[in-house]
Amino acid sequence: MSAGRGTLRGGPAALRAQHPLPRGLGLLLVLLIWEGVARATAGSFIIAAPSQIAGYMVSHSGLLWRAFGATLASAVQGFVWGNLAGVLLALLVVLLPRGERLLSALALLVFCLPLVATGPILRVLYGPGTGPQVTLAALAVYYTTFLPVLVGLRAAPQGWFDLVRSYGRGRMTALREVRLPAALPYLVAGLQIAAPAAFLGAMVGEFTGAERGLGVLTVRALRALDLPATWAIAVIAAGVSMLAFAAVGALGRRLDLAPPEVLMAPPVARSRRPWEAPAQALLALAAALLIWKGSMEVFGLPRFFAKRPEDVWFYLVTGPGAEAQRARLFAALGETLALAGPGYLAGLGLGAGLALLLALAPRLGGAVIPLSIALRSIPIIATAPLIVWALGRGAAGTITVVAVMIFFPTLIACRHGLARTPRAVLDLFEVYASSPLRRLLGAQLPAMLPAFFASARMAIPAAILAVTTAEWLATGRGIGALMATVASTSDYGMLWSAIALVGLAAVLAHALVAALERAVLARTSAEQLAR
Amino acid sequence: MHLPTLTRRLFLGGTLSTAGAALLAPGRARAQDAVALQLSWLHSVQFGGSYLARKNGYWRDAGLEVSLLPGGPNAPVEPPVVAGTALVGISAADYTAAAVNQGAPFRIIGVAMQKNPFAIASLPDNPVNSPADLVGKKIGMALANTPVLEALCSINGVDIGGIEVVPTQYDAAPLVQGQVDCLLCWATDLPVAMEIQGVESVTMLLADHGYSVHSQTYIATEDSLANRRDQLVALMKGEVMGWQDYQADPEAAAALSVEMFPDAGLDLATQKLQAERQVPLMFSDLTEAEGFGWFTEETVAANVETLKLLGKPVSPDLWDRSILEEVHG
Amino acid sequence: MDRRPDIHLAGVAKSFAGAIRPVEAVAPVDLVLAGGQMTALVGPSGCGKSTLLRLIAGLEPPSEGRITIGTESPDELRQRAGLAVAFQDAALLPWRSVEGNIALGRALARKPRDPGMIRELMSLVGLSGFERNRPAELSGGMRQRAAIARALAGEPELLLLDEPFAAVDALTRDRLNTELPPLWEARGATSILVTHSVAEAVRLSDRILVLTPRPARIAADIPVPLPRPRGPEVLASEAFRALCTEVTDALRDHQYPESVAAQ
Repeated sequence: MSAGRGTLRGGPAALRAQHPLPRGLGLLLVLLIWEGVARATAGSFIIAAPSQIAGYMVSHSGLLWRAFGATLASAVQGFVWGNLAGVLLALLVVLLPRGERLLSALALLVFCLPLVATGPILRVLYGPGTGPQVTLAALAVYYTTFLPVLVGLRAAPQGWFDLVRSYGRGRMTALREVRLPAALPYLVAGLQIAAPAAFLGAMVGEFTGAERGLGVLTVRALRALDLPATWAIAVIAAGVSMLAFAAVGALGRRLDLAPPEVLMAPPVARSRRPWEAPAQALLALAAALLIWKGSMEVFGLPRFFAKRPEDVWFYLVTGPGAEAQRARLFAALGETLALAGPGYLAGLGLGAGLALLLALAPRLGGAVIPLSIALRSIPIIATAPLIVWALGRGAAGTITVVAVMIFFPTLIACRHGLARTPRAVLDLFEVYASSPLRRLLGAQLPAMLPAFFASARMAIPAAILAVTTAEWLATGRGIGALMATVASTSDYGMLWSAIALVGLAAVLAHALVAALERAVLARTSAEQLAR
Repeated sequence: MHLPTLTRRLFLGGTLSTAGAALLAPGRARAQDAVALQLSWLHSVQFGGSYLARKNGYWRDAGLEVSLLPGGPNAPVEPPVVAGTALVGISAADYTAAAVNQGAPFRIIGVAMQKNPFAIASLPDNPVNSPADLVGKKIGMALANTPVLEALCSINGVDIGGIEVVPTQYDAAPLVQGQVDCLLCWATDLPVAMEIQGVESVTMLLADHGYSVHSQTYIATEDSLANRRDQLVALMKGEVMGWQDYQADPEAAAALSVEMFPDAGLDLATQKLQAERQVPLMFSDLTEAEGFGWFTEETVAANVETLKLLGKPVSPDLWDRSILEEVHG
Repeated sequence: MDRRPDIHLAGVAKSFAGAIRPVEAVAPVDLVLAGGQMTALVGPSGCGKSTLLRLIAGLEPPSEGRITIGTESPDELRQRAGLAVAFQDAALLPWRSVEGNIALGRALARKPRDPGMIRELMSLVGLSGFERNRPAELSGGMRQRAAIARALAGEPELLLLDEPFAAVDALTRDRLNTELPPLWEARGATSILVTHSVAEAVRLSDRILVLTPRPARIAADIPVPLPRPRGPEVLASEAFRALCTEVTDALRDHQYPESVAAQ
């Protein structure tokens, strides 16, 4: 294991040495091209030049510092609460394995709630202050911590548990001595993804009516056509996200943790009895409805904006005008899916495709991978308006935003999967002097599939987040824009209907991908399904 | 309608900061009632009169401690008023009408913008000076605002089929980049932003072409009107006095906005221009005669008419002048 | 509590759920293992000897029959940490130092901390100087020795060794066979050794049970009356070779499941 880690560490450094340009020079070249393009297109208000961005940062350093401090404070609090919730949820699932399907489904459902809809509701619940910012930051991170920690808690070999049991010790001892230490590297992997997400959540939270913060400044800058300000904030958000990503990674190395074996969760095993899956799904639905209604009743939220499940039913099915409202909702959802679907597939395809390409030409990896890891951490709020500005408000812009959101995590997960191809299998292909392509198709592709599918499942909430954010902030179409509109015109029946429909669509898409995954993996890597 | 009494912050460690500050603040002669005014957007000179009211102590003298809650692109305005977090909210007649049709127990108790700020902004070499000019043009707007365009066309007898609507979000880039010929926007923000960026533009105010919708309206619940009249009167009195100061010196209001909210990223030149542009929308012969915020049966009737075209039928009872009458009386 | 409990197996059988029908791993077995003795279970790979060991450890419940250790069930003995297992793959926790892993055997057994004893055990298994190392830095043989030291650290009444030398090269294995027996001989616990090495079984145990392949049945029950301590010279003795031949013959006769059916 230690030898494997050594090569991992040595790899990029060795490749970097072969890089034709020294690092600083390459960066300078990029900045120069950027500056040139920006100056050439100054009239169209798309790209700010690096010199303008730097100028804005210097002349507004006090303002940016204070805003950054405010956003960071919310992000850090949300990071702590969200990760705590993710870890506790994973512990709960491990201690109550029977509740796994239910808890996982609810966790996914809550994670898929669109920011644009949850924001105003949280603002009403909390009143003034940083409550919504912190909560949205927490909501943005708990799921991506929950999944790897759950895998980590279960990643230990059976022998370690037998050891604990052979001394007559129970679950709590196994948790303390085996599961928790084994989950630590997985926690670090989760925290790494969480750090940029928390920052994004805090920024979106500020859209709900905050006094200060980078989110506030973003809105102001976009509306004022203040290009240097918009780009300066995007650069800061991207920079802090990359820094946080790197810092958590460095902390993990400092603790000398072995890198996790598998980054993402295997699919929930197929149930033994045929009626079990539908029954569990119904149970999850009932629980979701109960929590929805119960929490509103407990907090005594006014029906004017806190619509109960029965209000949504009335609005969409039995009430007056239900048909027209249903038609409007489904039209918006259809419009959204028509963009989210291609973006989702393009992101997955490009991510997996590039990972395979890099397996054929490993030298490229040294240049591409660090860049991808860095870009993965840039929050969508910074990129979405820029991409749409650049590519226009049509389908291309939105599809690109979704694809970009999915592309980087997929690439990294697939690379991880490829690296897990058993050495002996590769040696076998080597012995017969097979072509790289044959090796790729015969050995590496099957080894990559579990990671690919895990990534495909994780990409569903990411796609929803990306498409609704792009629609809301940039294109003004689809269900993202519908939710923003109805929230401002007090059409809360439609808002809650849209939330429920998006949640349902997300869970169904997740189930669909999981079913496909089981079908494919049953042919290629049955051992992944054995647990 | 029964309103559940909500605590100010429902859960997760909220602090009653405004109430606490009011109780603990030393040197005050009398106890202050802590209330909140929910603004409809981020802090800017758009609410300059309120800032002047606070700075000049008009509320403090009336025994009121008013916290100004900023809005934002994803901020709810009407719900905090329903929930009781805010005593008064700044809405607009069309939004208020929509909320009332959804069962919210609101009344409009004052009107800050007599003329609706919606405008069509275009570039000078391809200008839109009248609704008829819209035919054959590409207009950039949020699809949510389609009813506004429909109302404008139907008032002015323009065939909406001749206008190509391009869905955009709310910024001026599509116009500057040439993706659209004109934009549906507020006269007080995107044209101001363009001018500051050195892009000249032409604006056509919808209000000058029959579109009568009160904007920046003060809303309160029926419950507050019945049970918290004193606070409403005190709050509105401060607003009226603040906006009178604003009218006297908009530039000072712009400077105060920048000074009061150093973290809002406000730019003094922009604020001054915006302050100047919103004066004709807020002050008219009517306000000269009756005072800031006033409305009459005629203006209300014109609003009811336009709101009907917007698909938001309301009764004139939505407007309640009793608070203003006490303030000005 | 008997410090050297007898083990009684009465009609003990185990089968697992299979794809089509249950797979019988251990056929009904009646057996008494005397306290303080070391019994070796030998048989071909996959014959079910490890399953039998796990049944005695209480890690799996038997499908039929009853196991009694002294006066207790395996579960009861396990609950009061009366037994210890040295696992086939060592099962050392990678984040603990070697010393920490061995001390864990005592902590899990709820015995008071005794750093002196841990040091002594480490020196006995030849791991002095590796206290701070992580398991990943040890050779296979060192890991096995650490696992045995961990099992002994809890001072068990019943010591179960599941192919403890399977992953060790022949030379090291021979050395461990010489060095380790004194450790448990001195402690006098009842022990069971699972192995597929005939010489190792003869060298270490007092009694050898030859098992047939699936389902496991007792094909031969061979006492090992060699005197202790059994140094390397034992390997050259006539008695040793005769015993090895006897066990090997028994194994050969029962190499395939068919021969069981013929019995």
